[in-house]
Amino acid sequence: MRPLVLVTLLQFSAITAWAAEFAAPVRLEAGGAAIRVDSPGYAAPCWADIDGDGKKDLLVGQFDGGKIRVYKNLGDRQLAAGEWLMADGKVAEVPGVW
Amino acid sequence: MAGLFQVLWGKPDGTFRAAEELKGTDGQPLVIPLGPGEDAWIDCICTRPTAIDWDADGHLDLVVGNFTGTFYLFKGEGKGRFLPKGELIETDDGPLKISGHHSDPFVVDWDNDGDLDVLSGSSEGGVQWAENVAGRGAAPKLKPFQSLIEKAETREYGRVLAEADLTGPVMSTRIWVDDLNGDGKLDILVGDLVTLVAPAKGLSEAELKEKYAAWQKEWDAAVAKLNAATDAAAKQAANQRVQDLWPERNKFLQEEMTGFVWLYLQK
Repeated sequence: MRPLVLVTLLQFSAITAWAAEFAAPVRLEAGGAAIRVDSPGYAAPCWADIDGDGKKDLLVGQFDGGKIRVYKNLGDRQLAAGEWLMADGKVAEVPGVW
Repeated sequence: MAGLFQVLWGKPDGTFRAAEELKGTDGQPLVIPLGPGEDAWIDCICTRPTAIDWDADGHLDLVVGNFTGTFYLFKGEGKGRFLPKGELIETDDGPLKISGHHSDPFVVDWDNDGDLDVLSGSSEGGVQWAENVAGRGAAPKLKPFQSLIEKAETREYGRVLAEADLTGPVMSTRIWVDDLNGDGKLDILVGDLVTLVAPAKGLSEAELKEKYAAWQKEWDAAVAKLNAATDAAAKQAANQRVQDLWPERNKFLQEEMTGFVWLYLQK
C-alpha cells in the first residue's frame, strides 16, 4: 500500500506543478514603499543570498545606468530599503546599458 | 554592434569586482553569432545571459536571450570558461522563440519531471514557458513556448494610469523563479516597465481626455500625410510636422516611465 501512496503523491505533485495556479500578484515593497526603478523602467529581479547570512535577498537591475539595487531580507517577509550594489568600492554599473 | 555579456566576479571577502566583458576560451568577448540574413542590430543585442548546467556535465553553461526573442547556448568548461561559439536552441518546429521580443531565460524544472524547462518574460508582458519533454538525464527537447501568466490587457494610449491603479506587471517583463515562501512550490518574481500617465498640472482627467483626442486627430492626419508623401520635400515637411507634434503632448499629460517588482505565489 505504501508504494502506491508514494506514486500517487508524486503524480499529484507533477500535475499540480504543470497546471500552475497563482494567487493575484503582489507588488513588492521595501522600507515601507513600493520597489521601483528609475526611468525608463525595465525592472529585472533576482532572488539570491548576496550577503551570506542564509537568507535570500532581492536584487533589482534597471536600465538606467545599468545599476542594481539590493534589498536585504530582514526575515518575516520584510525587505530593508534598497542600496546600490557596489563593485570595487563604487556603485556597480553594467556597461552598454544606456 | 553586439550585446556583450558582463560579469561581476565575486571576491573572497564577499564583495564584487567591477563589471568585465565575459570572454570565450579563444580570448575574445562572447557574442551571439550572426546567422545568414540576420542583423547585428537586432539579433545580437539586448542579451540576457543566465548560468545553468544545461547539458548536465557538471559545468555551468550560458543560456542567453536577445532582442529577437530567441535563445543561444554557450557551453561551459568550468571555472568561468565558455566555448566561444553559441548555438541556437531549437525545437522540433524551429528555433525556440518567445511571443514578442526580449527573451529573458530562466531555466528550472518547472513541471517537476526531472528535466530543465525554460521560462521567459517578454516585451509583450506576461510569462511564457517551454516544456522540456526529454526527461531526466536526456538532452533537452523543448516544446514551443506557451503562456504561463497572461500578459496585461493593452491600454488605450493617453488614458490616465496612476500607480494606485496597477494590479499587476504591464510590459517588458523580466523574471526570477524560486520558492519564495518556502511552501515547496516555485513562485515567480516579475519585473516590468510601465508608463504612468497623469494630466498635466492644472488639468482635470476630463480635460486631458478632450485635449488628447484633439491631439490624436492631428497626429493621425500628420502620420497619414507622411505616409502619403512621395517627393523628398513633402516627406521632410511631413516628418517635421510629426516631430513637432510629439512633444505637444506634454502640454496636457505627464508621463513617467518606471518599473516595479511583482510576486506571483503559486497556489
